[in-house]
Amino acid sequence: MSTLELPSYLDQTPEVAARFSRLRERPVALEVRGLTKRFETPRGVVTALDDVSFSVHKRELMCVIGPSGCGKSTLVRILAGLETPTSGEVLVGGTAVSGPGPDCGMVFQGYTLFPWLSVKENVMFGPKMAGKSSFTAESEAREWIDLVGLSRFENAYPHQLSGGMKQRVAIARALANQPRVLFMDEPFGALDAQTRCNMQSYLLEIWKNVDITIVFITHDLDEAVYLSDRILVLDANPGRVREIVEVPVPRPRSESQLFDPSFMATRKHIDELMHPPGQEQKDTPVMRLAVSNPDVV
Amino acid sequence: MPRPGILRDWFLIRRDLPQSRALLLTAVSFLMPLALWCVVSYVPWIWHPDVRIEISAEREGVTTVFTAGDHVSKGFFPEFVRAVRDENAAVTKARSEGTAVTGARRKNQKILRQIAPVAVGNGWIDYRDTQNDAALYQTWRDLATGAKVSSEPRLTEENLGIIRANWAALSALSPEFVFRKLPDEPLLKLVPQGRPANPVYLPEPDDVLRTGFRDFTASAPEGELTMLQRYGASLRVIFLGFFWACLIGIPLGILCGVFDFFSKLIEPFVDFFRYMPAPTFSTLLVAVLLAGEAPKVALVFIGTVFQMVLVISKTTRLLDPSLLEAAQTLGAKPRQLLKSVVIPGILPNLYNDLRILLGWAWTWLVIAELIGVKSGLTEFIETQGRFRNFDRVFPVIILIGVTGFVMDQVLSWLHGLLFPWSGKSSALSRSIAAAFTWPFRTGARAIRNRLAAVEAARIAATREPSP
Repeated sequence: MSTLELPSYLDQTPEVAARFSRLRERPVALEVRGLTKRFETPRGVVTALDDVSFSVHKRELMCVIGPSGCGKSTLVRILAGLETPTSGEVLVGGTAVSGPGPDCGMVFQGYTLFPWLSVKENVMFGPKMAGKSSFTAESEAREWIDLVGLSRFENAYPHQLSGGMKQRVAIARALANQPRVLFMDEPFGALDAQTRCNMQSYLLEIWKNVDITIVFITHDLDEAVYLSDRILVLDANPGRVREIVEVPVPRPRSESQLFDPSFMATRKHIDELMHPPGQEQKDTPVMRLAVSNPDVV
Repeated sequence: MPRPGILRDWFLIRRDLPQSRALLLTAVSFLMPLALWCVVSYVPWIWHPDVRIEISAEREGVTTVFTAGDHVSKGFFPEFVRAVRDENAAVTKARSEGTAVTGARRKNQKILRQIAPVAVGNGWIDYRDTQNDAALYQTWRDLATGAKVSSEPRLTEENLGIIRANWAALSALSPEFVFRKLPDEPLLKLVPQGRPANPVYLPEPDDVLRTGFRDFTASAPEGELTMLQRYGASLRVIFLGFFWACLIGIPLGILCGVFDFFSKLIEPFVDFFRYMPAPTFSTLLVAVLLAGEAPKVALVFIGTVFQMVLVISKTTRLLDPSLLEAAQTLGAKPRQLLKSVVIPGILPNLYNDLRILLGWAWTWLVIAELIGVKSGLTEFIETQGRFRNFDRVFPVIILIGVTGFVMDQVLSWLHGLLFPWSGKSSALSRSIAAAFTWPFRTGARAIRNRLAAVEAARIAATREPSP
């Protein structure tokens, strides 16, 4: 790697730079101000998030990445209103979030589909809660199921679907509610590598066709760079914003860009942010076992 | 060394057997105890410490009277037989010496009735007709002339001889039964007959089957219930008690599981109360609700409802909380959460809880039926058990067991049918469910389509004026 000459991750082609300036002009969909979260534990107060502030523009796809235990999940749960911060506030479309609601969609790592409802009924859930008639909810649900390519399975129950299909239903279900922001908490973490790859492309495809702002939590570097407009890198203990990186890889993205210099440069930079040089593996002792020579001639 | 075939095929650690073998073992698990019962009952040299009397005799000057069906110990029976033979010998001797006593008509009537168990055993007369002297008189005649041969029990040559001798004396006076025309001199007594038997508390399977069939098909004596009516009464007590428990227990349990408020308010007391055994309230319940069905239902209720609240609240708490969070992010309000997530989410587990609790309710039944005025199947068990008629008790006990077991199996099978989404139902039960619900589903779909058409027309109508 080190022998390879990489451009700086700050270098943006004119098209990409123009894209970012357009993005910055868009209204703010999600604004986070001075978010702090402390937990009382028997061993004292633990600060999970410390003064986190950032904003996400409309129709932006932002990834939040950080080492494990940096409070990514706590952050997204606060953003979605599932937990209350110790201090600070979250504004969605200009209004403060006080609890979970249809404005903030959420896709969980564990699918969380309702097992007693068919695919179609799962997607109808949000519209029905909003008081729409079965007819309207059903015709809307059909469109969303079509969008994620599961029309053939609309009457199947969740236990009959594979992991990737379940997560597509979960995405359709969240989108059917037409939230202002869609939070995704490591949605592809439980999928195998091949499926995850497909799902990432799927997500970009959906995002291209739907007017939606996405905040995507991940611990996978490639996933973050591949999907995002911007990447928010969190520090661990306490969780602080380390840097917000603008990804210089042009859109539309494809898997062939994984080896673009701009992609690799961004990936390398974020890797260094997360694992500062000289600090790697400091606290993971490696045990060497004395084994006899393998029986290979 | 490779494991032998039988170990490889049948004994696998934590591995399911193929279905055919599993089914075979299930059958064996029922046949095994049954076979054991048969072996102990029908193989004479295994146990059989008693003799069951088939033909009995009253002895002179002995107050203990044995009747057919009674058990006496193996050691005592020969003594009994010898005593009766001695009495017969004395009668014959007196007759030949011409010193026979007279005025023995009453005793002779009793001797005539000795034949009754034989007549009943062969099905010649009904078991309630054992004092029908006219019919018994015919039986003596038929046996003596050889018109009828007893197979159940088989009569000994000795007894056949006695029958012929007695009939000679009887027929000389009258071909029909007339009390005044009975011989005045004593007749010979039938010598007791019996066969090896187990103690009275272990009746033979065929005996149990026969008495069970007889009891359940018989019409009841005046003022009493038939067995089926008793069975109905027992089921009524169970189901009413369980129904009331469900009516109170399910909503309370769900509330406790959902709201910590109710959990803290109700559960501590419920937890305390369930340790007080339900039967201890029996006299209180009778005092409050009076004798009759009500205190029995209340006992089943008390025995079930407290467990139910705790079990259901636990089941409710076990619902994956992330489903609730997901529903909230989809805009569900608290009331909608309860109705659209909590209740459908816990239903399959709730159903299984109720299945187990219904099993509990059965255990309270026996106690419930003993309080106040005894009733139902338990009254029958109590009464017959007191008379040591265990061949009549066993069918009832088995009936209760079979009812509980079959009900549980049916309910467990219905689980897959009611909750196809839990992924536990077999293809067979799913297809039966599909066939069964087809008319309802078709109807519902027709209504839905109708409503959809109405709404589509309405939407079209509102759109038309705009362009």
